[in-house]
Amino acid sequence: MTFPSFLRLPARRACQALAVACLPLFTGGWIYGPQSTFQTEGPVAKAQLDLFYVTLWVCTIIFIVVGSVLAYATLKFKANDNDPEREPPEQSHGNPLVEISLIGASIMALVIIAVPTVHGIWYSYDVPEAEKANAYEVNATGYQWWFKFEYPKEQIDGSGNLLTANELVIPAGRPVRVNLRTIDVIHSFWVPKLAGKVDMIPNRGNFLWLQADNPGYFWGQCAEYCGESHAVMRFRVIALSESDFNAWLANQKNPARKAGSLFAGAIDQPRIQFASYTYEKQKRNAPGWSEAFDQQPFAAWKKQQEITVDDNLELVAQGRKLFQEKTCVGCHTIRGHEGIGITGPDLTHVGARTTIAGGLLENTPQNLHRWLVEPNEVKPGNKMWFGGYMARNDAGQWTPTFTINDNEARALVAYLHSLK
Amino acid sequence: MSSQAATALIDHHHDATTSTGIPNKKLFMWTFLASDCMFFGSLISMHVVYRVHPPAGSPDPRSIFSIELTSFSTFILLMSSLLMALAVNAIQKGNLRSTRRNLLGTIFFGLIFLSCQVYEFQHFVHAKGMTLSSSLFGSTFYTLTGTHGCHVAIGVLWLIFMYIRSFKPENADASRKPWFILSIVHFLIFAAAVVLGVHVVVAFAHQITAPGFSLGGYLGGHALALVGFLASLAGLYLMGRQSGEVDFNQSHAIDVETMGLYWHFVDIVWIIIFPVVYLLEYF
Amino acid sequence: MDVTAKTDFIGKDSPAASERPAIFTRPTTKTGIVSWLTTVDHKRIGLLYGVSALIFFLVGGAEALLIRLQLAVPNNTLLSSHAYNEMFTMHATTMIFLAIMPLSAAFFNYIMPLQIGARDVAFPRLNGFAYWLFLAGAIILNVGWFIKSGVPDVGWFGYAPLTSKAFSNTFATDISTDLWVMGLQVLGVSSVIGSLNFIVTIINLRAPGMTMMRLPVFTWMTLFTAFMIVLSFPAITIALVGLMMDRQFGANFFEVSNGGLPILWQHLFWVFGHPEVYILILPAMGIISEVLPCFSRKPLFGYPIVVFSGAVIGTLGFGVWSHHMFTTGMGTMATAAFALATMAIAVPTGVKIFNWIGTIWGGQLQMRTPMMFALGFVWTFMIGGFSGVMHAAAPADAQQQDSYFVVAHFHYVLIGGSLFALLAGIHYWFPLIFGRKVSEFWGKLSFWIIFIGFNVTFFPMHFLGLNGMPRRTFTYDGNMGWNSANLIATIGAIILGIGIAVYFVTMVYTYYKGQRVGRDPWNARTLEWSIQNPPPEYNFAVIPTVHARDAFWYEKHHQAEIAEEQAAHAKAEEAHGGIHMPSQSWFPFLTAMAILTGSLFFADHNFLGAICAAVGIVAFAYLWAWEGPGGYHLHLDKDGNVIDPKKGGHSTH
Repeated sequence: MTFPSFLRLPARRACQALAVACLPLFTGGWIYGPQSTFQTEGPVAKAQLDLFYVTLWVCTIIFIVVGSVLAYATLKFKANDNDPEREPPEQSHGNPLVEISLIGASIMALVIIAVPTVHGIWYSYDVPEAEKANAYEVNATGYQWWFKFEYPKEQIDGSGNLLTANELVIPAGRPVRVNLRTIDVIHSFWVPKLAGKVDMIPNRGNFLWLQADNPGYFWGQCAEYCGESHAVMRFRVIALSESDFNAWLANQKNPARKAGSLFAGAIDQPRIQFASYTYEKQKRNAPGWSEAFDQQPFAAWKKQQEITVDDNLELVAQGRKLFQEKTCVGCHTIRGHEGIGITGPDLTHVGARTTIAGGLLENTPQNLHRWLVEPNEVKPGNKMWFGGYMARNDAGQWTPTFTINDNEARALVAYLHSLK
Repeated sequence: MSSQAATALIDHHHDATTSTGIPNKKLFMWTFLASDCMFFGSLISMHVVYRVHPPAGSPDPRSIFSIELTSFSTFILLMSSLLMALAVNAIQKGNLRSTRRNLLGTIFFGLIFLSCQVYEFQHFVHAKGMTLSSSLFGSTFYTLTGTHGCHVAIGVLWLIFMYIRSFKPENADASRKPWFILSIVHFLIFAAAVVLGVHVVVAFAHQITAPGFSLGGYLGGHALALVGFLASLAGLYLMGRQSGEVDFNQSHAIDVETMGLYWHFVDIVWIIIFPVVYLLEYF
Repeated sequence: MDVTAKTDFIGKDSPAASERPAIFTRPTTKTGIVSWLTTVDHKRIGLLYGVSALIFFLVGGAEALLIRLQLAVPNNTLLSSHAYNEMFTMHATTMIFLAIMPLSAAFFNYIMPLQIGARDVAFPRLNGFAYWLFLAGAIILNVGWFIKSGVPDVGWFGYAPLTSKAFSNTFATDISTDLWVMGLQVLGVSSVIGSLNFIVTIINLRAPGMTMMRLPVFTWMTLFTAFMIVLSFPAITIALVGLMMDRQFGANFFEVSNGGLPILWQHLFWVFGHPEVYILILPAMGIISEVLPCFSRKPLFGYPIVVFSGAVIGTLGFGVWSHHMFTTGMGTMATAAFALATMAIAVPTGVKIFNWIGTIWGGQLQMRTPMMFALGFVWTFMIGGFSGVMHAAAPADAQQQDSYFVVAHFHYVLIGGSLFALLAGIHYWFPLIFGRKVSEFWGKLSFWIIFIGFNVTFFPMHFLGLNGMPRRTFTYDGNMGWNSANLIATIGAIILGIGIAVYFVTMVYTYYKGQRVGRDPWNARTLEWSIQNPPPEYNFAVIPTVHARDAFWYEKHHQAEIAEEQAAHAKAEEAHGGIHMPSQSWFPFLTAMAILTGSLFFADHNFLGAICAAVGIVAFAYLWAWEGPGGYHLHLDKDGNVIDPKKGGHSTH
């Protein structure tokens, strides 16, 4: 074996070597993030990751072996271009023994993958028998483009199941069985750190199970194309310790907080955030997150539960009135207040959530303001805009029914944020 | 056939054989029918899936079907296959008269089947209130049997074309133009006969099942259609009396045979649809 | 039977044009636009397919670049969400149905008859019809760019119930989804017709001595692909019929409120969709199996195994569709069965890789551009195959499904696989088709730019997917750890775009100014290289007799014997009346245009217009049948030139 041709053509070789050398460069550490499947936080995702590693190692080893042979053959049997008249090589047609052994070897390699695969299929399908009694059950329903979460075990007198939206709170350390339903098109429920996705399909009763080993704050996202705003259909899962979880449930079962009476008269001075925040019109699709939140999301969520600010009661009262006048009540439930609609998310405790607009924006006054003033810029095609702010006329055209101006938005923000 | 393959030495365009000895048209039709198997397979499974998982409020098919009529039309379609086979056999022997007679018979039976289906659809829609959109059963039933009906209709159209084709004069070059116009006239008369025939038969079926049937009322109500139908039949008879040498002979047996393959296939599909969609409901 | 079989081939020679009514004067011109509209020559139809496919490939590529530009940075506003959804729908639909499939069809048309020693396909007019129907489908799919409804935005998979009127119509008379339905329907009919033709051609029109086990591997893969098309397209046809009935006539197939099951759409779609994946890759494997032996100067290693593994892939390909649906809650048993079946399909695929390596082992590798693309194919296809095996592990797939990992996987098999092979094929057969050779420097330059750009684009996507980025999202937030990978992927896409541009500019330049080459410039092994380039319309002056698997290689090494044999055959053929050629016809084109008109009317809910067009379809089909296959004869002089009947002594009889 000789290498001279390899050395004689430095430019071309260098180019090829560079191409190969570039590959690892691009494989750098991009495996950590809020939706990373490598940083698992529960047994289902862990099992899925372990299986992935099995496939990865088997494939990598085969790739290295086969790739080396291919690379070796390419270099070794390269013809010398200066000698085109060489006799052709032996016209051999193959070797059955080699073929059969390679087929056998491939089957062996696949068996290595197949066994844990089959095991994983049964494991990840449903809560293990031993844990069934301990499992907590919730229902998740996909809407274009947000998620409704329902707690069938938590009954509220006169109002049925406890409902929330876009932030699923679960007990940590316990298996949770999520029944997956959809009201319109196909969606898919995916919390990468906790479990792989399962689709929400109309006329089909799907479910999945997951478990968060420790309390924490997890990102989730719809993973099946579901229309115009599929990309911005997100949600969160918050896992709490047993005691925190029970406290949260108790609070959620309460009707909406009454910060001020509907027809309040004299009120405190407006010295608080709702009157004082500044709002600037945002670009379409502008990011809705603060860095502080990103760094400590779980802490931010806990903070959001606390009633730390005094409400501007006059504004809150105005907002509550506007909530009726602008027909918001027709689609949103605010238990204990006027809202009775069920086509939109339940807002009874919206002030205690960290996100709005289907997990898209951080729940700050500015973001809520933006969402209320121009919902279609935030989430194109959403039903609050098409069907609320806009209505079809007789000719089938969309025409505006109402708008929300700056002052009205401030009042609504104050009201909604008072709903802890 | 296979022995001829050995003589395939020079040029396919001139040698009587193909690589396999199977005529191209026949191979084409067989492969197409394989594709059509998958087509009807998907369609029938769709019907079965929805029939096995009926949504709430589905109609009871037994209250809609009239199994006697469908059994009759199934029998008719089967018989048409027999005539089709006889037509293929006749043309292979070069018996033109018999070929034409059997082609006409196949067309006639095919049309009876189609008339039954038209009547059935109208009856289901008007008397039983089952439409394409009223229920899932309606959707799959009409789509499945309608698609099959389209296949039968295409077969009938093909048969009619073939029948008219059999009148093409032997020495066509000189007389091509008149023959072409004649063939169009022939086709139009045929089309009139088919449309009017189906109309009067279906109308008759409706009247005979409705209360207060009177032959006079029927004849009066559809006099024009009846007269037109009889006139077009007469026209067909006259056209069928054309004499003279024609170029339709044994060498066209492959065309008739290919058409026959299609026709038999469509029949076989119905032999599957009939029990699956109709008969199984009664068990 | 003797007589019947004969009529398939012996059309009566046309009488002189003047004796016939104008409407039946069959066009005879060999130049100008009419000659292209009425052509029945498989080589011209192949070129039409190829050029259209490349144009749509560039359109699909532009859509891809827009997608990548939108995702270059988080919270980008280049495209609105609606426009983005249109882009990815059209990108996928265009690349699958309007670029890769027709490009494969171009090679089937052009190369396959030459490889089996035939003068044309079995049904030349039907072949033209398949092309014009393809063009009609392509127009229907793309007409949305010019109307208010816009192009389809339901995804190329069109999952119900998103395609229903309630969810896909942005306004009451939105017909974009109807156009999608009709477009796919017409394309499906075109593919099935084309494939039936190829099947009959391969089985029935082989040259003497060309037994099935001597067929070139590309022809084998054509046959398997054609069978897969014929058997898998009906499933999507039925799914589309159901959807069409829902949308046009208010049926309930996928109407959830009346009990429709959207999951049924998925089953029907993937019963088609998975074989479709192999429809895209098998022709590519065929091309690679031609290029590697040619440039290794060695026969394909393990020919029977390569052929049978193709058959196994084709068969198993019908039994694994539900691995696209692992996350639909099929239950443990079904999931396990489909997972294992999917792993099983990796065996015949792996076997092909082993055989390709076996082919170059011990050869003399000529590093020409097609060989570079072929070797690049083996590398990238291997990576794509491995990520495919990872998907087969169903629980792991629950994390990968509908994430960018899947995007990376199928671009590795579709670009790194299908496209690389097709680009290799263009390079490889360019000298045969146009008689000019592409510059090695520019060819290799384009290969390296494409290869690097491709890997830079799609390798990071593996990480994006595993890092939780879902597909089909028009935007993402900057806090997810996806920024740098997305930016690099976009840069890679631009590099890839530049590479493709270099490739095509080189091709266009070569077409006009490239170096002319003589017969058989690569020292190749299969029959298509035995004829002069560009090939004459009659392909083979004398139909070859095949004595061995690599037929042309054998001819080159047994020249005396072959020359004697051919002289004898030439005489015999002349005695039979000369070379029979099929006549051109207007009706394939006219029938396809009537179908185009009807489909557009139908999509627009204009049933009267559709019925008028249907009458046109029947009328044209009748005329088509009426004019008959036709045909005329060519006679060659000693040098292989066609003797002009007007000048020469011979005339068609």
